Amino acid sequence: MSNELDLLWADFATAYNTPDGYLLATTITPEPPKSDPARLHRWQRWTNAYSVQTDLRYKLQYNPNIVLEKKEASTWLDVFTAYYSFAGKLLAAEEAQKAGKRRDADWSAVYEAWKDVMSALYRGYSNNIFAAWTIPCLYIAGKYLRVFAIKADANAASQRDSGLAFGALQEEDAFGAASKNEKLEDAARQINRIFALCLSDRSEVQSSRKWALYYIANLLFKTYFKLNSISLSKNILRSLKASGSDMPPLSAFPKAHQVTFKYYSGVISFLEEDYATAEEFLVSAYEMCNIHATQNLQLILTYLIPTKLLTSHRLPTSTLLQQTPALDRLFSPICTAIKHADLRAFTLALEHGEEEFVKRRIYLTLERGRDIVLRNLFRKVFLAGECEPAVTKEGEAPGPPVRRTRVPVKEFAAALRMAGAEVGDGEGGVDGDEVECLIANGIYKNFMKGYIARERGIVVLSKGGAFPGTGV
Amino acid sequence: MQTAPAYTAVAARHTLQRPDPPPAPAKPQKVSWSPDVRLYVQRAFEPDNAIPGIDLPMMQEKLKVVITQAAETGQLQGIDWSTYPLPQDLIKADRDQTAIYGVQNAILANLNAPAYPQNDGVYPPGSVTKKRKNGDVDMMDPEPREITPPWKKKDTKGGLEDRITGKNKNKSKKEKKAEAVRVHDLGANADVLEKRRQRFGLTTLEPPHFLSSRDESPEPVSTGPLVGTCQKLEKSYFRLTAPPAPDTVRPLPVLEKALNHIRSKWKKEHNYNYACDQLKSMRQDLTVQHIQNDLTVKVYEAHARIALEMKDLGEYNQCQTQLRALYKSNLGGKAEEFTAYRILYIIYTCNRTDMNNLLADLTTADKQMPAVEHALKVRSALASGNYHKFFRLYQDTPFMGAYLLDMIIQRERIAAMAVICRVYKPDVSLHFLAQELAFHGEESDTSDPDAGPRQCLDFLCQHGGEPFVERKDDGDVRFATGKAIAVFEGAKAAAFRGIDIKGQI
Repeated sequence: MSNELDLLWADFATAYNTPDGYLLATTITPEPPKSDPARLHRWQRWTNAYSVQTDLRYKLQYNPNIVLEKKEASTWLDVFTAYYSFAGKLLAAEEAQKAGKRRDADWSAVYEAWKDVMSALYRGYSNNIFAAWTIPCLYIAGKYLRVFAIKADANAASQRDSGLAFGALQEEDAFGAASKNEKLEDAARQINRIFALCLSDRSEVQSSRKWALYYIANLLFKTYFKLNSISLSKNILRSLKASGSDMPPLSAFPKAHQVTFKYYSGVISFLEEDYATAEEFLVSAYEMCNIHATQNLQLILTYLIPTKLLTSHRLPTSTLLQQTPALDRLFSPICTAIKHADLRAFTLALEHGEEEFVKRRIYLTLERGRDIVLRNLFRKVFLAGECEPAVTKEGEAPGPPVRRTRVPVKEFAAALRMAGAEVGDGEGGVDGDEVECLIANGIYKNFMKGYIARERGIVVLSKGGAFPGTGV
Repeated sequence: MQTAPAYTAVAARHTLQRPDPPPAPAKPQKVSWSPDVRLYVQRAFEPDNAIPGIDLPMMQEKLKVVITQAAETGQLQGIDWSTYPLPQDLIKADRDQTAIYGVQNAILANLNAPAYPQNDGVYPPGSVTKKRKNGDVDMMDPEPREITPPWKKKDTKGGLEDRITGKNKNKSKKEKKAEAVRVHDLGANADVLEKRRQRFGLTTLEPPHFLSSRDESPEPVSTGPLVGTCQKLEKSYFRLTAPPAPDTVRPLPVLEKALNHIRSKWKKEHNYNYACDQLKSMRQDLTVQHIQNDLTVKVYEAHARIALEMKDLGEYNQCQTQLRALYKSNLGGKAEEFTAYRILYIIYTCNRTDMNNLLADLTTADKQMPAVEHALKVRSALASGNYHKFFRLYQDTPFMGAYLLDMIIQRERIAAMAVICRVYKPDVSLHFLAQELAFHGEESDTSDPDAGPRQCLDFLCQHGGEPFVERKDDGDVRFATGKAIAVFEGAKAAAFRGIDIKGQI
C-alpha cells in the first residue's frame, strides 16, 4: 500500500470541490470517521516527524485533485503538521489508558497538542485565508478542546489525590485558590477567542463566519456551566444581542444549534428567576428537539417542569415522567406530594432529592412548590365545608347552594396539622399566628382570594373563584 | 499648574479641561514647559524604560515631584533633562537606599503609612467609612514626610485628585490594556476575559496563587516564604507594593502574642480603627510568611467577629472567604459558627447562585450542627415568606448571627407589613404587630410591657404608616391595614432594591 491516507486526501479533495464543510472537518477530527477507523494509526505509518512537512507539501501543493492558493495550502500544511503531532500524543494517551495505566496517560499533552491544531486553524481564519464554508472545522476544534481539557483536568486531579504532585503545590492547594480546572479554564478562553473571531467577521451574511456563532456560543455555555461560572454566559448573550442586526435570524441556523441555544438561554433565564422568558425558550426547545434525543429532552424537562410549576402551577403528567426513569425518580415524589396536598411527603421528597436538586440548581425553585401544596390543602378545607342554601329571590327557582365562604382559622389549623405542618406552639397546641401567616402568604401570592378578620378568627374567602385557576 | 507636566506627554489630554486645582500648595505662577522637559516626560513613559515592580502611578507620582521641585527651585532651565535620571530610576535608587538604611527607617515608614488601602469600593459607604477616614487622619503621624519613601506613601493630594477626575486610573488602565493588545495580540481576549472575571469577583477562574483578598499584594511566586524578625507587638497595616523586608515582618511566636495583645486591647478600648488596622497587618504578616495554621484561623476569626460587630461587611466578607478555604484544610477553628454566618450573609445579599453553591457544599454533618441548622431554618422561612417563623428564629440566633440578621430585619419587617396590610381587614392591633414583627423593647428593660409596641409604632411612622394609626376609645391602638397597602408595597420595593451582589450597598 503506497499511501495509507488515500481516503483522507480523497475526502479533503471532495470537500474542497463540493464544497462541504462538514466533510472537510472530518479530515481533522480526533475521532476517525467510521469509514476509516484506523486513520490515526495510518497517520503514524504514512509519515514521520522528519518528513511530515515534505509529505504534506506534496499532498497539498502538488496534488492535481486539490487546487489551493499558495497561502491556503501553507496554512493547511500548518494545520496538518500540528495534527500529525497531536495524533501521536493522542494515540499514546489512549494506549496508556487501555493498558490500565490511567495516570500515565498524558492528557495534558494531548490538550496542548490539540490547542496547536486549533491555533493553526485560527490563523487561517484570522488572516481571512479560509472561507466561511469551512467553519465546521472550528466546531471540531472547539468541541475537542473542551473534551481534552476535561480529561486533562481529571488526570491532574487524580495525580494530586494520589500524592504524585509535589508537596509545595499541595500546600497551596489547601488554601483553595489553586484551580481544579486549569485546562478547562484555558479552553474557555480559547473558545471565546473563536467566538470573537466569528463575531468580528464583517463579510456579507452569506459568506460570514457568523454562521458559526450559535454553535460556538453553545459550546461556551456548556463550558461555563461546567466551570460553575454561569454568569459569564451573559456576556455571550449580550454580544449576540448587540450584533443582532447583522446576524441571520436564529431560525435560519441548523436546528441542532437552535435547540441547544434555546435550552441554555432558557436555563440562564431560569437561574435569573425570569421564569416567563425561561418558559418561552424551554418550550420552544422542547418542541423543536429531536424526538429520539432522549437525553436532551430530559435535560430540557428538568428545567421546564419546575418552571411550569411556578408560572402556571402545572404539574407534569405521570405518563410524561415515566418516559424516562431519571425524570420519574427526580420529580414523581414531589409531584405526588403536591397533588395530594401532603406537606410531610413534600418536605421528605425535597430532603431526599436535595443533593440532586442542588446540583441541577432547581432546589430553590422546587422549594416554592410548597405554596401550591398549601394552596391545595386550603382548598380542600374550603371544599370540605358545608354549603349554605343560595339566597333566592322571590318567584325564582332556588339556585345551586353556595359554599360557605367564612372559614374559621381553626379549621385551617387542623388541616395543617394533619398534613404535617410544623405549626405547633411548642406546648402541644397550635400557633394560631403562624397558621394565619401561612394563610396570609397564600392570599398575598394570589393563590387564594379573601382576607383575614383577625378579631373574629375567620378567613373570609371570595364568593367567586376563591382559589383562582382551580375551578373553585 | 503643578500637576500638568505628568500629562503633557499624552497629547490627547491637552484639550481636556482640568478640574478645580487642588487648593493646597499650588504655585500661582504659570510655567510653560520647555521641549527638553517634554522629552524627558516622554522618555519616562516609554514602555522600554519601565522597571518591573514600579508601576505607572508610582512613576507618575515621582515624575510630578521631580518636575515640581525643579520648577519651585527655579532649576527648570538649569538641569540637563536629557541626562537626568528617569523617575523610575530615582524610585529604584530610593528603594535601594532604604534597604541599606535599614530597620529604623522602615519601621518609621510603617508607622507613617496610611492604615488603609486606597482602593475605593471595598468598604460600604456611610458612617463606617467616614469614621474610618477620620481614624486615618488621627493615626497619621505628624512627622515630616522625607523619611517616608515615596513608594510607601501615596501623595494624598494626587490621590484625591486622581479619584475625583478618575484620570490617572483610567489612563493607566487603558494603557495597560493597550499594551496587552500590543504585546501579544493573540492573548488579548484572554486578557480581557481575565479582567472581566476579576471585576465580577469570580475567584474560581483566577490563576492559582495563595491569596485572593483584594487588599494584599501577591508575593511573586519565585520568592520563597520569608521568616520575619520583627519583635514588635503592634504594627500598622499598609499595602505592600514590593516584597517586605524580614525585619518588618513578625514571626509566628510574636504574632501569637500580638493576637492576645490586640484582643485584650479591643475588649478594653473598643477602638475599631485600631483593631482592624492591627489585624490586617497580622493577616499580611501571616500571608507573606505562608503561615497557615490554627493561628491563621484565629486571626481571621477574630477579625471577622470584630468586623461583624461593627457592621463592616466588606472586611467581614474578606475574612469569611479566607476562612472558608482554611476550614477546608482542617486547621481547626469554629467552622460551625462561621458556616452559619455565611448562610446568613448570603441571605443578606440575596444571591441565589451563592446560596445554591453553598447548599451544594454543605455536608449532612454540617447541616446537623445547631447553628447551621438554625441558619438554614432562617433561610427556609424567608424563602417561603413565613415571617412569623423568621421573627421567632431571629429571637434566638446563636453566636453573633444577630448582628447579621440585624442587617436584614428592617427590610423583612417591611416585607411582612406588605403582606399583613394586604391580607388583614379592616385593622389589627398594634400589640399584634409588635409581637409578629419581634419588637420587644430594649433587652435591658423587660419590665415595661409597652416598650415593644412603642418601638413598633416608631417603625410604622418611620415608613409612612402614621396616618393609619388609630387610638380607639377603649385605649386600644390599632393599625388600619387595608388603607396602608400602597405605602408598604412601595417601602418593600425600595428596601429590596439597593442590594448588590457583593452585599455592599
